[in-house]
Amino acid sequence: MYRLARRCSYLLILLATGNLCLADGGAEPQRPDAACEACHGAGGDKPVSPETPRLAGQENDYLVEALLQYRKGARQNPIMGAMAKSLNDEQIRELAKYFSAQRGLTEKY
Amino acid sequence: MKATFEPTCAAIQAAIIAFCAASANADAPTAPTAPIATASMAATLVPAPEKVAMCRGCHGIAQYRTAYPLVYSVPKLGGQQAAYIVKALQDYKKGLRNHATMQSIAATLTDDEVAAIAAYYAAAQSAIGSSNP
Repeated sequence: MYRLARRCSYLLILLATGNLCLADGGAEPQRPDAACEACHGAGGDKPVSPETPRLAGQENDYLVEALLQYRKGARQNPIMGAMAKSLNDEQIRELAKYFSAQRGLTEKY
Repeated sequence: MKATFEPTCAAIQAAIIAFCAASANADAPTAPTAPIATASMAATLVPAPEKVAMCRGCHGIAQYRTAYPLVYSVPKLGGQQAAYIVKALQDYKKGLRNHATMQSIAATLTDDEVAAIAAYYAAAQSAIGSSNP
């Protein structure tokens, strides 16, 4: 009886710690470069100035396109140009994926 | 034991009834009031400016994609910063941003119309009509 109780408690501890490992939300995307959030805010949802856009929930491939345009200079912005030039394709994809997965912008009709 | 059982039950019953009566009085309905307009309700009541009809066809439809010259998703505008939308439309007007359709549309808008459109889209709250789960 005592052995059974001990085995059960080991199992419970194992399950509890296992849950703690998953408690960070499993599939949550990697946090992006803090450089973006310095201006666009946490999760891209609290821009520091009125002319800085919200990114949270924006369309994924629009964000990719915007960063590509900034990087090649097709879209001109002194800050964004410098930011985008430091990004490779993989990073652009990751950032777009992160911000598009946040809750924020909507397709308002 | 038996001698005190029934009085005890009666006492408990009385206590429960008294408690329910007190709760009922506390919850007594007052005269119905009109729903309080919340900030988010007021925000979505920004009237749609006339020219927004031009925007809806592309920006108002989920997952709408441009076809030419590149295929990518039209950006969401609901809840976007008003000053950013104003700057974007002005940049399209000046040719600083390159997109044939947007340049054509922006060219037809006066400054007042640009401001009205920007205010309309900025007013969207993500909790209402959100396409995000």
